[in-house]
Amino acid sequence: MTPWTNLKNDVNTENSLTETNYRSIVEHAIEGIFQTTPDGHYLLANPALASIYGYASVEELKGNVKEIARQLYVDPARRTEFIRLMKEHDAVWGFESPIYRKDGSVIWISENVRVIRDDADKVLYYEGTVEDITQRKRTEEELRRAKTAAEEASRSKSQFLANMSHELRTPLNAIIGYSELLREEAGDLGQESFVSDLGKIQKAGKHLLELINGVLDIAKIEAGKMEIHLEAFDVAAMLSDVAATVSPVVEKKGNRFEVSAPASLGIMQTDLTKVRQCLFNLLGNAGKFTHEGLIRLEGERITENGVDWLLFRVRDSGVGMTPAQVAKVFEAFTQADASTTRKYGGTGLGLAITKEFSRMIGGDTLVESVLGRGSVFTLRIPAELSAKASQPSPTVTNTQPSVEEITLTSDQPLVLLIDDDVTIHDLIRRFLHKEGFRTVCAQSGMEGIDLARKLQPSIIVLDVMMPTMDGWSVLTRLKGDPEVANIPVVMLTMVDNKEMGFSLGVDDYMLKPIERSGFVSVLRKYCTPQGAPVVLVVEDDAVTRELMRSTLEKEEFIVVDACSGVEGLQKLITTKPAVILLDLMMPEMDGFQFAREVRSRPEWQDIPILVMTAKDITSEDRARLDGHVSRILQKGACSREELLAEISARITRATRITLTEPVTIS
Amino acid sequence: MKKLLLVEDNEMNRDMLSRRLARRGYEIIIATDGEQGISEAKQQSPDLIIMDMSLPIIDGWEATRQLKQCAETKGIPVLALTAHAMAGERDRALEAGCDDYDTKPVDFTRLLGKIENLIPVSPP
Repeated sequence: MTPWTNLKNDVNTENSLTETNYRSIVEHAIEGIFQTTPDGHYLLANPALASIYGYASVEELKGNVKEIARQLYVDPARRTEFIRLMKEHDAVWGFESPIYRKDGSVIWISENVRVIRDDADKVLYYEGTVEDITQRKRTEEELRRAKTAAEEASRSKSQFLANMSHELRTPLNAIIGYSELLREEAGDLGQESFVSDLGKIQKAGKHLLELINGVLDIAKIEAGKMEIHLEAFDVAAMLSDVAATVSPVVEKKGNRFEVSAPASLGIMQTDLTKVRQCLFNLLGNAGKFTHEGLIRLEGERITENGVDWLLFRVRDSGVGMTPAQVAKVFEAFTQADASTTRKYGGTGLGLAITKEFSRMIGGDTLVESVLGRGSVFTLRIPAELSAKASQPSPTVTNTQPSVEEITLTSDQPLVLLIDDDVTIHDLIRRFLHKEGFRTVCAQSGMEGIDLARKLQPSIIVLDVMMPTMDGWSVLTRLKGDPEVANIPVVMLTMVDNKEMGFSLGVDDYMLKPIERSGFVSVLRKYCTPQGAPVVLVVEDDAVTRELMRSTLEKEEFIVVDACSGVEGLQKLITTKPAVILLDLMMPEMDGFQFAREVRSRPEWQDIPILVMTAKDITSEDRARLDGHVSRILQKGACSREELLAEISARITRATRITLTEPVTIS
Repeated sequence: MKKLLLVEDNEMNRDMLSRRLARRGYEIIIATDGEQGISEAKQQSPDLIIMDMSLPIIDGWEATRQLKQCAETKGIPVLALTAHAMAGERDRALEAGCDDYDTKPVDFTRLLGKIENLIPVSPP
């Protein structure tokens, strides 16, 4: 017996007022409601359905449409597909098709329908709802176009930047070169005022060159076009060389410059150019913000879990930063604040580039700072970057062991993290395990796409700036692959380009550094359907609500609560729980009415409701709840274990037979 | 006086670099494309060739390859100059047979250092 038929029995036998109510719901519903026969004509239709299809009345619709397959569906095969799905699953949800309206115009509809059978299991009719989704389809089409446009724009941007690289440097070459030349000649001729002015042109030219180089580096990193070149080199020699190059800059403002580069630092194999540039940036930065102070460059070699690391520290006794400034210091185009640029100059890109470069070669850049006392920047680089790690792994097989060593139960949601930065992997893995997620990490876009196909994770967390294939390209591939297109993707990145993300089909967008609780709640939003079951607790008493929450959360349920029936209904709109725990006596809308409202909506009909009440249930109460709730439990009399057992039983049943679960009453 | 062959198609860069190098006491020969660069190298036997890589007719990589295969010119050091400040470009230049590499815009002091490194000290 289905809830629907059960309700109808109630209507017939008990309460004719209820029948009026139901008729009113059908008559006034915004969605189209219908019953049709397998051979394609209407048994029942409501005014909304007639209106969606462009008919003046239900009678006109029923009178005109005698063969749904040919008359309504633009593609008659949709009806065949519909009947096939009905045979297989007894129901369809979100079945989307283009439909002809009466006037011949085409609209898109979405149908939620199930089959009604007689005792002999013979199909009697189909019944369900129709929603006009034309507007949504139009929006989707616009998004698709926006996506294509964005991809095209991204391609032209890369090409543009490649050309810029050459086109901008060529005239600058002349500006810098001629000003230097003229300066030398003016010096020879004793034209001192020219010497100083030409010096200014030359300096401005060099500054412009730095800016251009910085912007191009950032653009290349973003476009995933920054390459890594491995070479082995002596660390101490590299440090002395760097120190010799930057000492004029660092010592300019009356600063003392000290270097500690013992020969014991040994050899490292990584991208020399990038390490050097990171150190230039950090030292140049220290020089810029320190006046008559001390700047130290220190190298140290350490071993951690059998891996050798080189730590390069740049200490200064300069102006330092507030914690808020520290939080933003690695963001591109951001100096500590805008006035800094005026006072100290610089591009504001050096530290962002340093951070990205160090991450590309498997390391990181960290900062500690005290306002007025100075800053310490630490560049942490693995001594040996293997050629394999710097390139995308071609197949999944060799990364298979990393696919979760942790013994978590397989019904916990699986999060696929695609980020080239292994320190991020570790950080996210650790805190997500505490939150009950399983994680699997990919270091490159290709690896990520392969893992997504293979493991079908609940959600994908994607970085933008990655070598070889950047996050945007990964995203485009994921969304273009039917096997994985429906897996939600959350961007986690330091690149603030939400518009691009959403136009490419991202479900959510978060900025680094990671804010944990926000991150987890976003993941929960997308993971709950496949992951831990959600229990909606509708209870006006705060103490009881909290008690329920802690009890349920201990058992790995996700709890959504509401303090009244009205709030409960609102929560249902965004979250479909596996079970509802319902108190009866509440202000605004009581449990009786709440249960009725829930059952009146087809999409909520299958959610089991467990009533938890301190009220003595009368037979009248029982009658009011009949058909609406799964079970009535007495507060106090029902133990924690009983409650959990009841919930678990509902969840397994609900997942096994979603739509046709008989609603019984104890 | 040391003789430098500057192969560069951009007129401003050529003019500027040649004047600055001349001020430092070098004799400068000019070529404006790869082909001309090869023939000047053969005729003039310079002490060093400064070779732009993006050149018309024969590009700098190919010109260097040919110079390094020819018995008359293979002993002349070639210093590559390119606008692409990328590690990969350096590898490409060295692969073609260039003896060193520098990027444009030119850091003149650094370029002078590289030139001095490449020109063998002549016997007194």
